[in-house]
Amino acid sequence: MNERHGGGDWIGRSAARVEDQVLLRGGARFLDDIVMPDLAEATFVRSPLAHGVIRSINCDAARALPGVHAVYVFADLRRVLTQDAIPLALPAGGLRFDVDPTCLAIDEVCYVGEPVAIVVATTRRIAEDAAALVELDIEALPVVVDPVEGLQPGAPEARLTCPDNLVARTKVDYGDVEGAFEGAAHVVRETFRLNKGGGHPMEPRGVVARHDELTDQLTLWNSTQMPHRAKAMLVATLGLSERQVRVVTPEVGGGFGTKAVFHPEELATPAAALLLKRPIKWVEDRFESFTASIGEREQIWTVEAAFEADGRLRGIRGTLVYDHGAATPYGIALPFNAATNLIGPYILPAYRMLIDLCLTNKTPAAPTRGAGRPQGTFVMERLLDRMALRLALPRDEIRRRNMIAPGQMPYTIPVKQRDGSMMVYDSGDYPQSQALALKAAGWADFPQRQKAAREQGRFIGLGLANYVEATGRGPFESVSVSIGPSGQVVVSSGATAQGQGVKTMLAQVVAQVLDVAPQSIHVVVGDTSATPAGLGAYASRQAVTAGNAAFAAATLLANKAKIAAAELLEASVEDLVIREGVVEVKGVPGHGASLTQIARALAGTPGFALPGNLPPGLSAASDFMTSGLSYTNGCHLAEVEVDPDTGGVKILRYVVVHDCGRMINPMMVEGQILGGVIHGVGMTLFEWMRYDREGQPLTATLADYLLPTSDVAPRLEIHHLESPTPLNPLGVKGAAESGTIGAPATIVSAIEDALRPLDIRVTQLPVTPPQLRKLIRDAQSSELRP
Amino acid sequence: MKRDHISFIFRGARVDLAGFSPHATLLEWLRLNARATGTKEGCGEGDCGACTVVLARASDGALDLRPVNACILLMGQVDGAEILTVEDLAEGNTLHPIQQAMVDHHGSQCGFCTPGIVMSLFALQQSAQGPVTRPQVERALAGNLCRCTGYRPIVDAAMESCSGPAQDRFAAATALRLAALAEMTDSADVFVGTSTQFFAAPASEDALAALYLEHPDALILSGATDVGLWITKALQTPPKIIWLGRLRGAFTAIEAGDKALSLGAGLTLADASAPLITLHPDFAEIMRRFGSAQVRASGTIGGSLANGSPIGDIAPCLIALGAEIELRRGSDLRRLPLEAYFIAYKQQDRRSGEYLRRIIIPRPAPDRAFRAFKVSKRFDEDISAVLGAFHIGLAGRHVIFARIAFGGMAATPSRAPQAEMAAIGIDLDAPATWAEALTAITLDYAPIDDARASAGYRTLISRNLFLKTLMEISGIPAEITRISGFEVPHAAE
Repeated sequence: MNERHGGGDWIGRSAARVEDQVLLRGGARFLDDIVMPDLAEATFVRSPLAHGVIRSINCDAARALPGVHAVYVFADLRRVLTQDAIPLALPAGGLRFDVDPTCLAIDEVCYVGEPVAIVVATTRRIAEDAAALVELDIEALPVVVDPVEGLQPGAPEARLTCPDNLVARTKVDYGDVEGAFEGAAHVVRETFRLNKGGGHPMEPRGVVARHDELTDQLTLWNSTQMPHRAKAMLVATLGLSERQVRVVTPEVGGGFGTKAVFHPEELATPAAALLLKRPIKWVEDRFESFTASIGEREQIWTVEAAFEADGRLRGIRGTLVYDHGAATPYGIALPFNAATNLIGPYILPAYRMLIDLCLTNKTPAAPTRGAGRPQGTFVMERLLDRMALRLALPRDEIRRRNMIAPGQMPYTIPVKQRDGSMMVYDSGDYPQSQALALKAAGWADFPQRQKAAREQGRFIGLGLANYVEATGRGPFESVSVSIGPSGQVVVSSGATAQGQGVKTMLAQVVAQVLDVAPQSIHVVVGDTSATPAGLGAYASRQAVTAGNAAFAAATLLANKAKIAAAELLEASVEDLVIREGVVEVKGVPGHGASLTQIARALAGTPGFALPGNLPPGLSAASDFMTSGLSYTNGCHLAEVEVDPDTGGVKILRYVVVHDCGRMINPMMVEGQILGGVIHGVGMTLFEWMRYDREGQPLTATLADYLLPTSDVAPRLEIHHLESPTPLNPLGVKGAAESGTIGAPATIVSAIEDALRPLDIRVTQLPVTPPQLRKLIRDAQSSELRP
Repeated sequence: MKRDHISFIFRGARVDLAGFSPHATLLEWLRLNARATGTKEGCGEGDCGACTVVLARASDGALDLRPVNACILLMGQVDGAEILTVEDLAEGNTLHPIQQAMVDHHGSQCGFCTPGIVMSLFALQQSAQGPVTRPQVERALAGNLCRCTGYRPIVDAAMESCSGPAQDRFAAATALRLAALAEMTDSADVFVGTSTQFFAAPASEDALAALYLEHPDALILSGATDVGLWITKALQTPPKIIWLGRLRGAFTAIEAGDKALSLGAGLTLADASAPLITLHPDFAEIMRRFGSAQVRASGTIGGSLANGSPIGDIAPCLIALGAEIELRRGSDLRRLPLEAYFIAYKQQDRRSGEYLRRIIIPRPAPDRAFRAFKVSKRFDEDISAVLGAFHIGLAGRHVIFARIAFGGMAATPSRAPQAEMAAIGIDLDAPATWAEALTAITLDYAPIDDARASAGYRTLISRNLFLKTLMEISGIPAEITRISGFEVPHAAE
């Protein structure tokens, strides 16, 4: 407890989550659990081809099926739309073509799964039966599947409306790159191919749209990470005013980026509801999750690093080809994140990465946990391992020699970011982070253990990686805190929750100020009618932005309560503290006014003055506006064993040192790290969204696209450093994606270490048994075993 | 005797249900009819486990609780069972110990997979005899995907809450619940529907044989872990379904003879595991990795063979051991070697109106070695890239008999004739004599490329699994040969 100002000691405690009771009982209302009178259900007719021109769509048989309310194609929905496209793309200088998606395909389909028509019926079953009766006549066109091939002269066009597939070209460029290479003692080169994966929340996407004629308000219940942005899209495309649109998130079963961007169904469903004048529910099935929901991660890097004889980096240069899929629902941020996150916690004097973004006939790409950063970190860390090998230096030493020292903070990198500011690392002790991780994992003793294992014919390896993550992206988040005459503390925020524990986080911050139990606080997130402005969940930002806004709002409310209490108690404001929800005179326990009493007083009595001449109501609102990104950092170490006969990899041990500044709830921070690392394990060993040469998805079930299961999830050992950021009053940084960022680089470092006698170089993700087995076979002149 | 409805217990009360579509799933009934929305649909194909509920049945006077995937279980299959869902667990304001442990360990983040995970752990806890081990927990969770937590907190919650025989209100009410189940028990042939659209569950093989002769176009349903997907994913609507789940007697019998093991086709994979493991300990890993706990609780050994999957994890093992199957049509019985049953891709030697009733597996002789290896990308709940089974006879240190079968290498599970022949004469102490047989196995099959594995990888793996077999039977410990993707026998416990 803060002795001077009162308040609780909730920040920093692994408090029980306010979300859990209802979730554990099965009582939480997720999107598909919503029912209402006259609710119709929708399904989408989707393109079976990766590319083609729509010749005709015959809906007669579908419309005639009993129970079918309507079958709409784009021209039908266009009657309630103000424009063809959904104006999604974030502004970006390098964007050459406008490839915003439409809510249904107009005359060209550009990926398997692209919605072509919406079928609305009394039940989902009938809608699906009717969808099967829709006759689609699509003339197939050549497809672009591989982004490198897609940029070659003479490649087919992924979209007829674009003259070529180079949808954007951008770069990261600073320092004397030519000079760095000219005078270099050594250069290492490599090409990396990192494949497509996805977020795959266990709850698929879904919406319920209802237009209420009485209030002339369209409500969209939406399993989304960004309800305010969804509202903005509906306002823009449906020609409605802000008052007429409300977007609400029910309980959301995971997001991981998949639910951040606005998808076509989020417009097609409410548009159909407006036309049909009845509420409609659409819930994605798992096949649609694989084909119609965004994913990302496909990047091809050709990169070289120049360095001194002592291992210090002089410069890095190369090209990055990025697969953007068939549209740009999020602008071009992802490869930029990848290219800038490559720099990591290291001093890189000169750097040039030329980035080409290619349109392909695959599901559009948008941020997925890590949002490009795991790939950049992967490339840098692989290069560092190559450099260490070249110089016969230990892998930890090459990193140590290149690390930014804590004394150099804040550390500026001359790269301009989206908001025009330079990249500035705000705080962190990278060398200490690595040192702690090495110690925890037994780095020094490992060579002996490895030698002993190899004598037994076993191949174990230890890998490491360091990384940073830009968290807390702005520009703002809003929070209001209010206490009414009932005494209920209500916190409302533009933040949204998909399982991170956002409500608990906000409740803890407010509880810290008001000294009430977090469980007693009611938190409203993800409702555009509860908070006029908000942005939501992306870029590991909500503890930073909403957390600090909650802290400021609660502090304003506390100050107001003290001013009111000063009059009620005839005391001086300076002498008041808040204890257990009561404003009392310091040193005089029991002499005070409860927040409830103050709320009643501030509610006003007809004809009487408000205490302290304060404005009415015990409430306060605040917006936290970021002044820069706060950089979380970490060091991962993994020990693996490789089966040389099958190419299988087993993770034996996994150590994380993590620094996200001050932690509001360490238990929840660890939850984020655990989930993030295992997502990274999946990305490294299992997850691969594959397509054939025709652009047909090959891995569109959870039996073919493998998520990690409990037995492959290593038991993580997590250690924390807390380097508070100077950029916000709470000193907090984000934690939601960092686990994923470090994992692929770490595990691959360990795999290569395990197979060091064979000098294996892994250049592709995921590392599947067939690929690893092929590398082993290619590397060994004779069989390892008889 | 006939019954025109199914009976089950839900929320503590008996339900007699006649008005349901033959191909309706339990999940549809729960969510749409009973409005019990705690149980979630995550994939609709039995991969993610978000829809896991527990079915309790009486077995030898005790309650037998099994986790099942409600999304692919047909409604008729709950006949005679007590359905327990996540909403049943808490008592008033008090969470069940499993739920409380999940809260305490932060085992739930978004909460969408949570109901299924809680129910998988509930089934584990209710059948636990003593404290559960970590491998047991992982086995119980193999069919539950979670994207948020990284599983560790869930495993910790399970270790804490499944620390011994359950002492909760469910355990306390065992006698009452058994009585309620006994009250529903009868020997009636269930027939719900009309002659053109029905869900039938004959109670005897004679009734089954007669009904199937009458309706040879009916779909024979065993556990629905495959057929369920025809409905939920291929959107088929089979009008006539004959479920085998009420058959007892020979159809679910285990006859453990000295020379051979006979398993009724209707035994669930869960129930078939223990007798199969008596054939050889390697069956333990094969059975552990067969689907998931949910799949093994519903799926049957007969069902796993009858549809002729080219991979079929059990089929190659049984072929290597020289198993035979017994088919019945009307009153005619027919026996044939299992390998002869698989004619071509998804084409089996099964005549109209005929069903698989029994599998007879010779026990490996003491001078014979057996090894079975499953290779898949993910250890748990993954479809095999390759499954190899090796049955090797020895005279001293020399191979005198070899029967080798693979799944995933051809359009059906099938033998490796060239390798079998080349193996004769191998000297376990002279690895140079292994080479010919190791090469021969790469000539026996022409596997395909798919997303699971390349043809080249499959070929190489078939060879390396044979190599692992020879290494192990020559005396090299499994700790060395089974590194990743294998469970070292008996070491995990």
